[in-house]
Amino acid sequence: MLNSKLLFVLVMFLNTFNCFTQTAVCDFTLSGKVIDEHDKKPLMFATVYIKELERGSVSDNKGNYHIDKLCKGTYTLVISHLGCDPITETITLTKNLKHHFYPEHHAEELQEFAIQEKAVEEEVSVAKKELSVKDLNQARGESLGESLKSITGVTTLNTGGSISKPVIHGLHSDRVLILNNGIRQEGQQWGNEHAPEIDTYIADKLSVIKGADGIRYGANAIAGVVLVEPRALRDTTGINGTLNLAGASNGRLGVSSATLDGNIGKLIGLSWRLQGTLKRSGNVTTPNYYLKNSGLKEYNFSWALGFNKEKYGVETFYSKFNTDIGIFSAAHIGNLTDLQLAIDATEPLESADFTYEINRPLQHIEHELFKVKAYWLTGNIGKLNFVYARQYNLRQEFDKHLPRKDSLAALNLPELQFEITTHLGELSWRQNRTSSFNTQIGVAAINQANTFEGREFIPAFRKYGTGVFLIEKWRSKNFKLELEAGLRYDHVHQKVYKWDRINRHYDTYVYAYNNVSGSLGAIYKPNDKLTTRVNFGMAWRPPNVSELFSDGLHHGAATVEYGDTNLITERAYNTIAGVDYLNKNLLIQVEGFYNYINDFIYLKPTLPATLTIKGAFPTFNYTQVDAALTGLDFKLNYQFTKKLSWTGKTSFLNAYNLTDDEWLVGMPANRFENVLAYKLLKVKKLTDVYVEAGIQSVLNQNQVPDNSDYSNPPDGYNLLSAGMGFGIPIAQKQKLIVDFKIKNLLNTTYRDYLNRFRYYADEMGRNYTLKLKLTF
Amino acid sequence: MKTIKTYSILAVIALATVMVGCSKDDDTPEPVTIGGGTTPPAHEEELITSVILSFVDTAGVQPAVEYAYRDIDGVGGNAPIQQDVLTLAANTYYTATVQLLNEAESPAEDITLEVLQEDDEHLFCYAPSNTNVTIDRTDSDGTYEVGISTFWSTGAAASGNTTVTLKHQPGVKDGTCTPGDTDVEIIFVTEIQ
Repeated sequence: MLNSKLLFVLVMFLNTFNCFTQTAVCDFTLSGKVIDEHDKKPLMFATVYIKELERGSVSDNKGNYHIDKLCKGTYTLVISHLGCDPITETITLTKNLKHHFYPEHHAEELQEFAIQEKAVEEEVSVAKKELSVKDLNQARGESLGESLKSITGVTTLNTGGSISKPVIHGLHSDRVLILNNGIRQEGQQWGNEHAPEIDTYIADKLSVIKGADGIRYGANAIAGVVLVEPRALRDTTGINGTLNLAGASNGRLGVSSATLDGNIGKLIGLSWRLQGTLKRSGNVTTPNYYLKNSGLKEYNFSWALGFNKEKYGVETFYSKFNTDIGIFSAAHIGNLTDLQLAIDATEPLESADFTYEINRPLQHIEHELFKVKAYWLTGNIGKLNFVYARQYNLRQEFDKHLPRKDSLAALNLPELQFEITTHLGELSWRQNRTSSFNTQIGVAAINQANTFEGREFIPAFRKYGTGVFLIEKWRSKNFKLELEAGLRYDHVHQKVYKWDRINRHYDTYVYAYNNVSGSLGAIYKPNDKLTTRVNFGMAWRPPNVSELFSDGLHHGAATVEYGDTNLITERAYNTIAGVDYLNKNLLIQVEGFYNYINDFIYLKPTLPATLTIKGAFPTFNYTQVDAALTGLDFKLNYQFTKKLSWTGKTSFLNAYNLTDDEWLVGMPANRFENVLAYKLLKVKKLTDVYVEAGIQSVLNQNQVPDNSDYSNPPDGYNLLSAGMGFGIPIAQKQKLIVDFKIKNLLNTTYRDYLNRFRYYADEMGRNYTLKLKLTF
Repeated sequence: MKTIKTYSILAVIALATVMVGCSKDDDTPEPVTIGGGTTPPAHEEELITSVILSFVDTAGVQPAVEYAYRDIDGVGGNAPIQQDVLTLAANTYYTATVQLLNEAESPAEDITLEVLQEDDEHLFCYAPSNTNVTIDRTDSDGTYEVGISTFWSTGAAASGNTTVTLKHQPGVKDGTCTPGDTDVEIIFVTEIQ
């Protein structure tokens, strides 16, 4: 109810302004042709984009483009086309103008990154790392964590094969901020076995950002921000859609997802989208055995409705994510003795065959997001944005066994249930990039309530937060130097209600945090080929409720975990420097970082083991130390010929506990990846044909403190993969994209250090995947 | 005309918002007080807080004794109360029973009854070490033993440990202690004197 009232007020508010905007003289037209500089042929599907207005036009089959309803003024235009370096031109508009653009066309060279990584984006002082279209197509149907893996510096923290969390430069959970369609994801992020509740089919773009732009979304992005961005709604009359189908042999996974986009011509500016996904997988298999109860089910849907006029617009978005995830039974163990038995066994102590059925232990998760976004152009100088969102997250964890008492067992309730409801509001203003300076300013507020039923793993709490931010950018006249700075102040107030089981009352704890986060960066481009970046960032994070209040047995992990109510704010000082070099057949991206984290919170193993009625359990305490994470990411793409290319990626990470002078636990091992690809632009009717083979090498993680684990980190491994794909144009606007891939080609038996089930079972064996994408 | 159109579009959006039908949620973490008492969290976990072993000398010479292990607030919180040393007379035959209680509830709940109800899924195991005692289960679920009732025969004086384990073995019970998950595992220091 509150939502609708709010929207109504907003709608009325916007209408008031509508009366004034009718009189503005904004009726100029910019039109012309986009022509290939080399052969002077018109280029179709070239994008002419006005940076200041964030809109543009796509050239037709004769290379013509047309942008109307423009106001008098100076605009920065970016012209991009498949296989061209984007060109930027500044144009002053005082009358209707005809202007031709001549981008330089290099056929298919460096196609993948020339488009994807030099898209029409503002330059930022920490390179935005985005999944290429090809990588995104290949990742379709996988979880968010798995999808992001092809980005250098991103690994995953897994619980079995179906729960996967992104790890950026060694950090995860609360330290990674996930922005789902512009809204920060608020669920139970703290848990290692809590995957992001996001349907990746919503996304048209997946990327990881750091630096000043990260400040905009919150203070706790110590590791970075993951952006999950859908395509903009249709702005021209008509209907189009996408149908995605994916299948995988391992687990007999099947996914189908459809999106339908429309724009109603008679009601100019009204656009809509409907989207839904169904996913089902059964027990997955390692090279030698099935993993009992490792299936999953997912059903999601979303809709969006947008009303966009020249000067203002309103957009609503709703999405619902539902999943049931089976937890590998043999990993749900009783105590330390059981764990030792499981570690010593060569095969899991519970065997299984293939089935789609999901039994206890399992997780049932629902996530709902409702969002209203509105903007209003403040004359020619900027844009005012307003966002309100409500999120509701339900997490139910069902233990392996029903309660012993029949009356309770009959209810089949989860042993653990959390409900978290979050309201977010943000008002921001962004200046158009008409001069050297660009300003963004905003305020944000959050109200969050968490309740639980069943086992009290984390207590109930309420949280209020407010923040203000300012981002300032400056660019030299010759575009060679850019500077950016961001500053954010946040206040967080948290009230925790902890149930005292013996005295049967609640203890109330109150926490308040006031802190500043910031970022300072520079980009220097001495020439077209070289970009250098440096950024210094400061971020902080209050200890989360699990770190403060955990007190008891962590089921499934067979550990007793104790929080510490006296933990203080964790603070990170991160310096990142990078160089990009791009010429006709070579791309090199190097990024190094030094992240010093003051009062880094982590689970430290403590002696002796805790004695309980269920036996002995290893004990872990949440502790704060000073830590230093140093790392290097390296990516190289070399084009041997126009068709044959090689991509190499390397990620190194050193994570050190400065306080105790030892390594930090649970950090990803160093890794390399090499891919050889053979690409053809056209084979008869087929387009974008490629064949590729790759090898991923993950080293043994030997940088761990002594006696920190029940068993030594698993050995390193090499995985081979092969893939191919192509597009088939069916009709003028219809196209089918086919991707086929074989993962773990040699059916290698291996375990990964960052999989929490490494004690119990091997990783997935060979997997054939087929992805089909039909656009119409 | 244009204004009417604009209004109607905005009305459609507003209507769509109303129709969202957001999920019902529990968004009050603040404790609720009813009739002066505080409402506990819903569906509190079922605990086994206490394990009690009772011994009766079959000859009726030695007095009947009880040894208990208690952790009233469950894992975490306060440490469990260390049981006394399990002391038995040498060269004696005892019948023993094990009792599981949830003493976090008032009155205390007898979990043994629930184990008995599902006796085909449960097995108590007794493993003495370095101590002169032989322990035999004397009850049955129809196919396999259960171990709620046992027979202890002690030998010469010695001191060591006895590990008492309750295994939950739904569908996998085979009379041995290997399969299943551990529900209870306690080491009693044992003295035969």
